[in-house]
Amino acid sequence: MARILCVAEKPSIAKAVANHLGGQVRADNVRGVQWVKNYKFDYNFQQWGQSSVTFTCVAGHVKSSDFTDRYRKWQSCQPVELFEAPIQTFVADGKKAIASNIEAQARLASILFIWTDCDREGEHIGTEIRDIALKANPNMQVCRARFSNIERAHIIDAARNPIPLDEAQANAVAARIELDLRLGAAFTRMQTLALQAMIPQQGEEQRKLISYGSCQFPTLGFVVDRYLRVRNFVPEPFWYIKVVHEKDGINVRFSWARGHLFDRLAVTIIFEQCLIAKTAKVTKMTKKPTKKWKPLPLTTVELQKMGSRFLRMTSQEVMTTAEALYTKGWISYPRTETDQFDKGMDLRRLVEKQQQDNRWGNFAQGLMNGGFNQPRNGRNNDKAHPPIHPVNYVAPTQLGDNEKKVYEFVVRRFLACCSEDAVGEATDVDIEYGGEGFRTHGLIVLARNYLDVYPYDRWESSQALPQYTVGETWEPKEATMLDGQTSAPSYLTEPELISLMDVNGIGTDATMADHIAKIKDREYVIARAKGGGAANGGHGAAQRGGGRGRGRGRGGRGGRGGAAAQNGGGGGGGAAGGVQEFIPTTLGIALIEGYDNVGFETSLSKPFLRKEVRRCGRCAAAICADYGQMEVQMKAICEGRSTRNDVVQQNLEQYRAVFTRTNQQIHVLKAAVRKYVVGEEANHG
Amino acid sequence: MANNLLAELAAHLQSRHLQPTPAWLQSFTAGIRPTTPLPALKQTALFRLLATDITTSLVAPPTTLFPGDILNARIQSRHLAGPVVCQVIDVEDIGHSRWSQVETIEAKERGETTKGREVVRVIPDADAQPDVQPDVDSKGPFKLLLQDAKGAKVYAFDLKGIAGINMGMSLGIKVLLRNCEVRRGVVMLEPGGVQILGGKIEALDKIWKEGRKERLISAANAGRENAAG
Repeated sequence: MARILCVAEKPSIAKAVANHLGGQVRADNVRGVQWVKNYKFDYNFQQWGQSSVTFTCVAGHVKSSDFTDRYRKWQSCQPVELFEAPIQTFVADGKKAIASNIEAQARLASILFIWTDCDREGEHIGTEIRDIALKANPNMQVCRARFSNIERAHIIDAARNPIPLDEAQANAVAARIELDLRLGAAFTRMQTLALQAMIPQQGEEQRKLISYGSCQFPTLGFVVDRYLRVRNFVPEPFWYIKVVHEKDGINVRFSWARGHLFDRLAVTIIFEQCLIAKTAKVTKMTKKPTKKWKPLPLTTVELQKMGSRFLRMTSQEVMTTAEALYTKGWISYPRTETDQFDKGMDLRRLVEKQQQDNRWGNFAQGLMNGGFNQPRNGRNNDKAHPPIHPVNYVAPTQLGDNEKKVYEFVVRRFLACCSEDAVGEATDVDIEYGGEGFRTHGLIVLARNYLDVYPYDRWESSQALPQYTVGETWEPKEATMLDGQTSAPSYLTEPELISLMDVNGIGTDATMADHIAKIKDREYVIARAKGGGAANGGHGAAQRGGGRGRGRGRGGRGGRGGAAAQNGGGGGGGAAGGVQEFIPTTLGIALIEGYDNVGFETSLSKPFLRKEVRRCGRCAAAICADYGQMEVQMKAICEGRSTRNDVVQQNLEQYRAVFTRTNQQIHVLKAAVRKYVVGEEANHG
Repeated sequence: MANNLLAELAAHLQSRHLQPTPAWLQSFTAGIRPTTPLPALKQTALFRLLATDITTSLVAPPTTLFPGDILNARIQSRHLAGPVVCQVIDVEDIGHSRWSQVETIEAKERGETTKGREVVRVIPDADAQPDVQPDVDSKGPFKLLLQDAKGAKVYAFDLKGIAGINMGMSLGIKVLLRNCEVRRGVVMLEPGGVQILGGKIEALDKIWKEGRKERLISAANAGRENAAG
């Protein structure tokens, strides 16, 4: 009988999978680590026959990398040496018991079957496990399972079809780990040593670490950019014309095709022409069927965005919760870029399971009784995981508060995907009045369809419009020239930040939430509920231009804030409710502005600039700060178009140029800190 | 021969409703090589004339000028038969706030013009349409300051969109107006009534382009004060 060692990435997966395969399994304790168990059972594998199985797990990465001793102490070397200092990889502190458990079990087994999550990180953890096992037992045969949820049939199928570990993906992660370590340590040490003494301390508080991370900085850069836009914004007056016509007892408002203009003289002349013309003429009248498309299948990025918009949770909370739901077997793997369901997937079976719910059960039933439609296909497929979907039904009473919200969202989204687009009738009426165009738009929702189960989208009937015919002329009941004022954009919200990171390739869908959390931890930004009352009141005195929102400026949120939040001062409202918005601290602004001032090509905060710069070939060093490029390079390693070594060397070389230049001009960075944090220049509040 | 040449050139320019001063024609012909064929000379003359400041280079019969009372704002509407030759000495995009134009210029200064980035930046919500960003491609409408050969200045609006009139055009460009309506002392430009002759005034164009951002900033700030007041 073959002896097989299975290793999952975390305890919950080991337990769930072992139970699916073994039925009643025996759980043996592991010496030195309480929460890891070795599950023992027999299982008949298709390719190995009846086997004796030990199913255990690790807890994330087992190994850790750091510089060798000589370089580990801050004062032991120049930060620049870290670009090439030797790195050693070793079993991490606290993971020793886990590693020795694998070694011990490996000696007893002939086959290693790896069950880490199917993503890059999981592939890398898989190679760590393999290396430990092979060291103990070099003759082992190694393979891994491909799975994307913890549903029984799916797991059994995965057990039947093992695949090889993907070395390329593991190498991509190895490249990332090395770069993060070298760059993070070199820049963090350099800037901390240079700036630390300048940051005011509070009491006995430890001296502040001014960390650098190649994803943190661009993330911070987005927040600072928007903050400065809001801060610098200048409201301006505009003018526009509104026409009202009464027909069949309905007051119909026509809006100006031009929207509004920023020249009073122009609008006055046009308005006069309208008044002289007296009558308006209908130039177009169309009624046509229209649809509001049902949503696309759910990806990680979309889940995070929607979560922070509608569920009153931060993206990190959403991900942690989704992770828990996945581990418990309620939803599929929540880290996926795929927004298309495989044609072969039995979606009806998944819909069927939701029929018992008293909130959306009826809707699910409707889908089962002929309402089912194949979901739309998006453009992304990571070829590893399907879109996020519910795999089993769970009653709300069995879930925590956050779990309830995320599960509900995942289910509703899934049911919406399997439903039909909402259908309506759109009416457009265009008129010509004094040589100018005006129009009105009406909507009648005929069938809500997916909207019934998906309250996160809004699409509602407007006021009914009277019947108009082309060529008909009439005198408007009212024609008015009005004014308004542009209003500032709002501070960057979490969903917006996630979109920006996504499009610019900062981090992966799996790590974005962590980068956002990191810049909060570091006190580079504070988060608060959008439109937070405190800030508006607090900075009231700093507002220059009074009234806002009179007109139809976009956004429509509150005024410009005053100064940046004081560093470390009182934090923000956390997840107080609603969408979060981010405001940089004085230190956050100082760092971004400092690097920007050191030089265009050293700007560590603007990955999106780099692409453009590279195209115009302005300077070779410019792409160095392009972490978005890094993500592209990781993909290249995965697809075999590049190697770990090439990517590491190329990036190190490029970042080294930035490092050197920053070091030479460290006074510029210091000046920015003096300006914003120390407050030597008058604060702009 | 020289007289003949002068007449030929004058006739050619006159066909574009451009009547250079004798002094300008003299200096032009003084600088040419006798071997140059006539058609090339005609073209060169036109090109050079369009690059001048018409307040010094054109003879201006009254019919080619704005009427003396054109700025009278009490006249609701009047007809301008023309043809009037004038040069554009200022242009403003009145469809976009000045501040948004400043932001666009600054984004360009930072090399940040990729469309993807622009669209992304303004996504308040995945389903909403991104705001239209002002650009060289802006459709305006535009407010122009025109100047005739005697130096009279008058505002004009291009509300309909005329090929060749946009924020990217050269300042000092020459246009010919015919059959235009003038409302409250402002010329209303219509595609049929405007002929773009081309050219520019190099010095003006340079100063205008260099100073555009500063002008926009101070205009925006002035607007704010008015709005607050």
